[in-house]
Parts: sequence; structure tokens; C-alpha cells
Amino acid sequence: MTRPPVDPTVELRGITKRFPGTLANDAVDLTVHRGEIHALMGENGAGKSTLMSILYGMERADAGSIRIDGREVTFGDPSAAMAAGLGMVHQSFKLFDSLTVAENVVYAAEPRRFGLLDRAAARRRVRELAEEHGLAVDPDARVGDLPVGLRQRVEILKLLHRGARTLILDEPTAVLTPAEADALFAVLKSLAAQGRTVILVTHKLREVLEGSDKVTVLRDGRVVARLVTADTSADEIAAAMTGRAVDLDRVHAPGTPGDAVLEVTSLTTDAVHDVGLTVHAGEIVGIAGVAGNGQSELVEALAGLRPVTAGQVTLKGRDITHVSATERRAQGLAYVPEDRHAVGTAPAASVADNLAMGHHRTSLSAKGLLPPATVRTHAGRLIERFGIKAATPEVPASALSGGNLQKLLIGRELAHEAPLLLVEQPTRGVDIGAIQNIHDQIVAYRDAGHAVLLVSAELSEIRGLADRVLVMYEGRVTATYTKDEADEQALGLAMAGGAVAPTEAVD
Amino acid sequence: MTHTQIPRISGVLRSPITFSVLAGLVIGALFLVGTGADPFTAYGAVLTGSLGADGIGSTLSTGTSVLGMALALAIPLRAGLINLGGDGQMVLGGITAAVTGLYSPLPAPLTVALALLAGMAAGAAYAALAALCENSLGVPLLVSSLLLSYPAVSLASYLARYPLKEPGSSLPQTRAMPNGVALPAFGDSTVTIGLLLVVLAAATYWFTDKRTAFGYEIRMTGLNSRFAAYAGVERRGLTLKLMSVSGALAGLVGAIGVLSFPYRFVDGSLTAPGYTWTGLTAALLAAAAPLGTVVASFFFAVLAVGGLAMERTTEVPRELTQVLQAIVIVFLAARLRFPSGWFRRRSQATSQESPQEIGAA
Ligand SMILES: Nc1ncnc2c1ncn2[C@@H]1O[C@H](COP(=O)(O)OP(=O)(O)O)[C@@H](O)[C@H]1O
Ligand SMILES: [Mg+2]
Repeated sequence: MTRPPVDPTVELRGITKRFPGTLANDAVDLTVHRGEIHALMGENGAGKSTLMSILYGMERADAGSIRIDGREVTFGDPSAAMAAGLGMVHQSFKLFDSLTVAENVVYAAEPRRFGLLDRAAARRRVRELAEEHGLAVDPDARVGDLPVGLRQRVEILKLLHRGARTLILDEPTAVLTPAEADALFAVLKSLAAQGRTVILVTHKLREVLEGSDKVTVLRDGRVVARLVTADTSADEIAAAMTGRAVDLDRVHAPGTPGDAVLEVTSLTTDAVHDVGLTVHAGEIVGIAGVAGNGQSELVEALAGLRPVTAGQVTLKGRDITHVSATERRAQGLAYVPEDRHAVGTAPAASVADNLAMGHHRTSLSAKGLLPPATVRTHAGRLIERFGIKAATPEVPASALSGGNLQKLLIGRELAHEAPLLLVEQPTRGVDIGAIQNIHDQIVAYRDAGHAVLLVSAELSEIRGLADRVLVMYEGRVTATYTKDEADEQALGLAMAGGAVAPTEAVD
Repeated sequence: MTHTQIPRISGVLRSPITFSVLAGLVIGALFLVGTGADPFTAYGAVLTGSLGADGIGSTLSTGTSVLGMALALAIPLRAGLINLGGDGQMVLGGITAAVTGLYSPLPAPLTVALALLAGMAAGAAYAALAALCENSLGVPLLVSSLLLSYPAVSLASYLARYPLKEPGSSLPQTRAMPNGVALPAFGDSTVTIGLLLVVLAAATYWFTDKRTAFGYEIRMTGLNSRFAAYAGVERRGLTLKLMSVSGALAGLVGAIGVLSFPYRFVDGSLTAPGYTWTGLTAALLAAAAPLGTVVASFFFAVLAVGGLAMERTTEVPRELTQVLQAIVIVFLAARLRFPSGWFRRRSQATSQESPQEIGAA
């Protein structure tokens, strides 16, 4: 995958950016050549997004210079960056759900006829672009109806329509299934082969190894490694990112299950049909499945946030089927929800306040009082114990990086020492160092004799952690595997709906 | 000035609140210049008229009602709930206090206490009704509280005009309270211990907000209601409690109004000064934060009383102060603030805190 060297198309020199309390970028140099897929890697908080925001004109650097195609530039805003041939796909898409694919693609750069949007031309343009780059998508489909993988294509088509020669993608595969991710890389490779340049911000090693030409690794705002993909290894990149040797596909030793803690029989609710499962003390039960197959609804029903239509849920032998969320917590349930920002935290509240939630009526409070000093001490303890990087407990949670926010959330819930932990997508969008830390915490929690129900779309996570694996497909448990049976192939097939017949779901 | 105070102060200076207030004053000054008046004289008249020896009593008694209503609106607002039924709750509190005052067989001091409690209970019950409409019928609180307000105001008006009307009077008002059924006043001013009650309410709100688990739940609900619900904060119960407290405070304002000069319920006299809206403005301006609500209430009381004085001593109509109030709100709603360069660089760190406060609105 080596190409002849050409002049650099994007050159960042000595980029420095200081936020209050953090040096987000410290004299960063980044050189990207034309036709290259360049991976920008680093742990959460390493400064990747900041660097890309500076390049794209969304933030202003304190020092340093940017050259595009050899010319020094300063972008006041993203439209200036776009005019210079840059295009960025943000982690959360910026599309209009109610408009069609074609309308979204040409938005703000519409082909016009008599001053009006020329729909036929727009549609034609989208077809051409789609065909040229292998980005098949129906120009007339409403964006709101499309799956995530296709929406991402629309974002890319949008950039191509505006003539972007350098594409920046921030964590593009975080929301994709493995198959969709493979398709994305095929597209990126063909774009690179045509001479476009791709900067890929990611923390997923597998993709970087398979799909990139060069790798630049950031740690604590500094460049710590510049690697040629063909000459490196996952271990080397991971070591550069974390600053220590990491054992990647670690499979944790199995637990020693005790009594049943959670028993679910024939549970039915929205998008969940007749699900039965048991989780024992000292056991991690994994639920694998592509997002949207009823896992979230199942967990919400277990947590008391969604009414149960039929079936029964017992916690330590007590029926909690129709009991409130508060009562469930009191009976011994902790819950790490999938959506950190909308559900798991109040981003505008301080880190300390976020860490107090759920403890504010129990360990932190006496006679209804909640002294600020107690809240602060509690926060300090959890920040230290779980290695949460926060300038002070008073900063808003929105100032934390994704991985640190997740550590906050998991730390807060583990601190309940509840007999049952429900945990959803614990490491989505979280980088290696933090992943390992989070996995270790979950395993230690199990080994302390707690029951854990883990929902994850990451196969390696399920395989590494779970003592038993259930696969959910279209709202049902379609397969059950022991730790040894749960190989990537069997799980992948079952997740795609290919499980031959549902095996006995209730053990 | 210590090291950490500098960014905090510049954060305050840069906050949308400061901007709104200053913008209001500047635009008001432009109006004044446009109409040929001298803004310094006019604003000077507002200040001397409201804070001078002649005005301060009036400012404090107006401030009692404004602060009471501001607290009534701020407390639910802290959890993201808006009570638009303040008028109805206040008037019900007033008429209930009047009935209690007129017909209670107890000695006067006990009657005063009973009338205050009855007024609060009436306001609380009526606000709770609006909460129940949301909780069990799904009518949004904004709508239920506002719509319930009108019949309450009409009922009180009917009572004051017919069954309870003072015989022989041409005014729609009840008989005066019996001798001694009145809130003790400070000296010969119009300021009563009603002011102390309202300040006590503010202190309780501050304490609850800062130092109790309940106050924490209210704040978190305001910042992200799904987060609070996820951790088991029960939304309906919270709505009911906060609305009851809110209604009780509105009822208290009504009762204080009846138990101080003119010691009777006069139809329209509680609603005409617009305490509910001024209170809502103050609560919004402070993003429902306890101390801010007190400061903003005082600010609006100064404007209201000073506006009257300004009208007397200059040619400027007192409506100017209402214009000021409106401008402040419009700017605040637009969340405008001074650019960061204006008051020293690098104040982003602390200005992070103000969106959080504002977020509750
Ligand atoms: N707007 C901001 N204000 C304050 N600190 C910030 C801001 N944006 C990022 N940071 C901090 O800068 C560092 C780098 O963040 P970021 O560039 O988002 O990292 P990455 O994308 O690699 O996870 C982190 O410590 C983060 O907390
Ligand atoms: Mg990032």
C-alpha cells in the first residue's frame, strides 16, 4: 500500500492550543501527503479533536501555522476551510432528517435553475457522485429513514459535492456495524486512489492497521509517534497511545458463579419479545447484537425506566417487575446507560454533582442534608480511584472527554456496590487505555461477587469479558453460548440473524 | 483581590445577565435622549426616588411582593417547570386570607397567623391542581397553570363584589379586617413583617438549593430531566411538590397584601401591579438561582418605585421602566454576552459556570 511520495497537502507546524488547565495541543506537527489515508490516533483527551478543529477553522491555535498545498493559510471559520478544499464529517452527523438525500447533499451549494433549486440536476449529481465513488444510496430516500451507515455516505457525498480534496473523519466507525465499517474503508481507499487525502481520527487499531497508510499518535497533546502502517503493529501503536505496553485482545479468566441474582422470564416490552435470562452472582452475562435489536429496551425495562407488558423480573428472589427505578436501586441495582450525555449525566452540571447522583440520598446524605463538602470529598475519592481526568470537581461534566465521562459514569455506578450491575456499551467511543481500565473494573466487580449484565455491540468486548453470551436479534434471544463456544464467527453470524434455531434461552 | 477572583469577576461581567441589564440601561438612555430628556437626570430620579428616605419604604414593600412572586416562580423553574398561574394562586391566597381574617373567632394575633396559613394553603392547593392536570391528564403545566388562573381571579372578584362586599361602599372591596388583624409594620412605614417572611422563604430556598438532597434533585432535574429520572427522581412527585410550594408562596403574597394596608381584599389590587410578571422576569433573569433571584427582585422593585418618582420629578413617563424591563428580557432571551476580549482574556474557564445557571431557564 505504499504510494510514491508527493508534496504534502496538509502541513501543520507547531500547533499549540491551551485551554484553561489543559495544554490540548503542544507544538504538534502533522504532515499528510496527497492520496494518503492518514490515521490520527490517541487516547481520549490526547488532543485529536482540538487539532482537527483548528485545522478546520473551528478553533484558533495559540501558536503554529497551517499550510494547504504549500500555501500558508488561516481559517477564520469552517467555510474558509471548505473553500480551501477541506471537508469534515463530524462524529454526530449534521443532516436534515426530513429532507431527501439529494437535498442534503446539495444543501448550501445547490444547482439552480431560474433561481430555484434544480431537483433533477441535484438528483443527477448525487447519482454521478455515488456511482463514481461506489457510495450507492438512493437520492430520493428521506435521510431520517436511512440507517447510520448510509447517513454517513450522505455526509461524504456532501463533501465530495463541494469539491473537498481532503476529507477529515472524526471517529467514523463508532456507530457502524463491522460490515458497514468495512464498506466505509473500501470507499476511503478508492477516494485515496483517486488522489484525495483522508485524515481519519480513530482509536480502533484494527481499522487503522487494515485501512491506513500512515499513523500519527498523540498523547497528552504531543506527537509521540509517526509510523508507517505497513511497518508497525497493533502493540506498537497501543504502546505509543498509552505510554505502556498493553495486552490487546485480552480474555479475562472466567468467574465463579454463585446464586442467581437477576431472573427474567418471558419478558415482553416495546421491541422485546419473550426474553428469558438469568445472571448469577460472580458472573458476567453478555448480550451481543447489532444496535437496535431490542437490547436498549430490555435494559431500560430491567432498570425500571420502561413499563413491562408481560413477563417477570426478580432481583435476589424479589419480584421487581412493576417496581419504580428508585426502588430497584434501593433493592440493589446499578445501571450504566448507553447514552452518556442524554441519560447518564447532566453535562451542564459539575463533575462533583454528576458523581453524587444516586448516592445523594444514601451514603452522602444524613437527614436529607447534602453538604457541598461531602459531595466534593466523594467526587475527589472517585476521581482518584477511577483515574478520571478532570481539572477540578467543579468543572462541568461537558468539559470531560468521552472516555473520562464514561469513567465518571462507571465509577459512580460501581461505587454503589449493588449486587446487580447493568452496563450498556461501556467502551463505545472510549480509547484503549481507558477501555482496559474499564474492563478491569468490571471484572473486578464481578470477582467481588456481583452479577453483571453487559450489553455490547463490540464482539471483542463480549468475548473478553462475558462468562456466557446471549445474542439478541429482532427483540429475541436467538442464541446462547458458553465462553468457549462464543467465537467471533458464531457470534457474528448470530448477530446478523443467522442463528440456526434459538437454543435454550433459560439455563 | 485574590488570584481566583479575577476570572470569576470577569465571568460575571461577561455574563448575559450583565449584558442584558447594561444594554437595557443604554437603550433606555437612547430613548430618553431621543425624547429630549436627560438620561442622567431620569436615572438619578429613579435612584433617589426608590432608595432615598422617601422611597425606600415603598421599595421594600413593593419588593416584598415582587420577591415573593419571584420565589414562587423560581422554585419550579429551578427544575425546568414554569408556573404561569401565579395571579390566580396569589388572588386565591388573598381572598382566603380575607375570609379568614373577617370570620375567624380567634384572637387577633392568632387570626393573622391563621389567615397567612390559610392563604398559603389555598394557593398551594390550587397550584397542586395544575400539577395534577399535567401528571394525570397530560395537560402541559404551562397551559394548565395559566388556564386555571382565570377562573380563580374571577371567583375572587365575584366574592369581593357580591357576598363579601363592604356594605355601602361603591368600590369592589371586602370589609376592612377587624381591629388588630394586620401584619405588624416597622415604625409608621408600609413595610410589614411580611418582608421578613418572604426573606425567610428566600433563605430557606437558598439552603435547600445548596445543601439538601432535595435541592440537588431539583437542580439536576432542571439541568437534565432524563438524567434525574434515570437515577430514580420521580418527576410527577417533584412537579406536585414544587408546584405546591410555588402556590403557597403566591398565596402568601396575596395574604400579605390583604393583611397590610389597606387591610382588605380589593378586587384587582393584587394583580394590577403585575407582581407575577415582574417576579417571573426576576426569576428568569437570575436563572432561578436563589441569591440572584433576591438581587433581581430588588432591582425590579427599584425600577418600579423609582419609575413613579421619575414621572413625578421629570417629564419622563414611568412606562420607561417597563420598557427597560422588557429590553432586559429580550436580550436575556437572546443569550447575548460581551465578547471575551472585552474584560481580559482567558475568562472562559469560569464563564463555563454561567451557562449552567442559565440552563435551568
Ligand atoms: N472547549 C474546551 N474547553 C476546555 N478544555 C477543552 C476544550 N476542548 C477540549 N478540551 C480539553 O483539551 C484536551 C484535548 O481534548 P480533545 O481534543 O477533545 O481530545 P481527543 O479528541 O483526543 O479526545 C482534553 O483534556 C479536553 O478536556
Ligand atoms: Mg475527540
